[in-house]
Amino acid sequence: MLLAALRVGVAIMWIENVGWKRPPDFSSLRRFTTDAVEHPVFSPFSWIVEHVVLPNFTFFAWMTLLLEASIGAFLFVGLATRLWALIGIGQSLAITMSVLNAPNEWEWSYYLMILAHVGIFATAAGRSYGLDAVMRPIWRSSDSQLSRVLMRLS
Amino acid sequence: MTRHPLDQAAATLGAAGMASVVFTLATSSNNNFVKVEGAGLLVFPVLGLCALVGGLTGQRILVRLAGAAYAAAAILQLAQFGRSTNWIDGIGSTFALLLALGLGLLVVGFAPKDDRTEPTSADRNSRTTSAR
Repeated sequence: MLLAALRVGVAIMWIENVGWKRPPDFSSLRRFTTDAVEHPVFSPFSWIVEHVVLPNFTFFAWMTLLLEASIGAFLFVGLATRLWALIGIGQSLAITMSVLNAPNEWEWSYYLMILAHVGIFATAAGRSYGLDAVMRPIWRSSDSQLSRVLMRLS
Repeated sequence: MTRHPLDQAAATLGAAGMASVVFTLATSSNNNFVKVEGAGLLVFPVLGLCALVGGLTGQRILVRLAGAAYAAAAILQLAQFGRSTNWIDGIGSTFALLLALGLGLLVVGFAPKDDRTEPTSADRNSRTTSAR
């Protein structure tokens, strides 16, 4: 039950934070993205943000919205949980490298985000009151390649 | 009476959909978890009730309909938020929660339901161990 609470809590964190990424201009997200250039954490990442992300910002903003909504959705229902925990770690790292050195940031927010996803991955938390627990017997009894992949991702 | 795990999952997701209206009680501008207002106050509980009844009665068509309707509402919300026309009156968080409920109900609604899909003892043990 506690693992399910952790998984759903982290899911709601992502779901809530999709809320302030507002099209069409995504102004708040642009401000945080610009922090990666103005307060660099890892210079190759800052270079990519400056020369690839910001010139194509609208595209990357929509991708961020869809990615974070998907992380929240899949973790909420506990489906392919280990895959989405890994994706959550990746997105948390990207956020960390964007804003870690920005003023008034508490760096442990981002370390704890990463650690929470590591915990979800390590414990396969979707098997605790998640759809992975319900679907794994079905995937196990199936001969399809997709089912075998989903067994590994859950 | 023991319900099939897929029906239990559908009923749980339906109950979660119905419970989503509690998010409307949080009114802070920067800490509202999920924005559920306007037509969302109808969409979440009505479709959730449909899924709950489908799960409790084993009527998978109701689960599939609720899942498809949540998914359609998610797509509609994605297309409309940030625009002047916003039928569900939601934002990105509303979209993400609709997506979660639609995705989950469609997965359990269309999963094959036969004796082979009962959890094995290994899965039961895993779930019990995880719950500790």
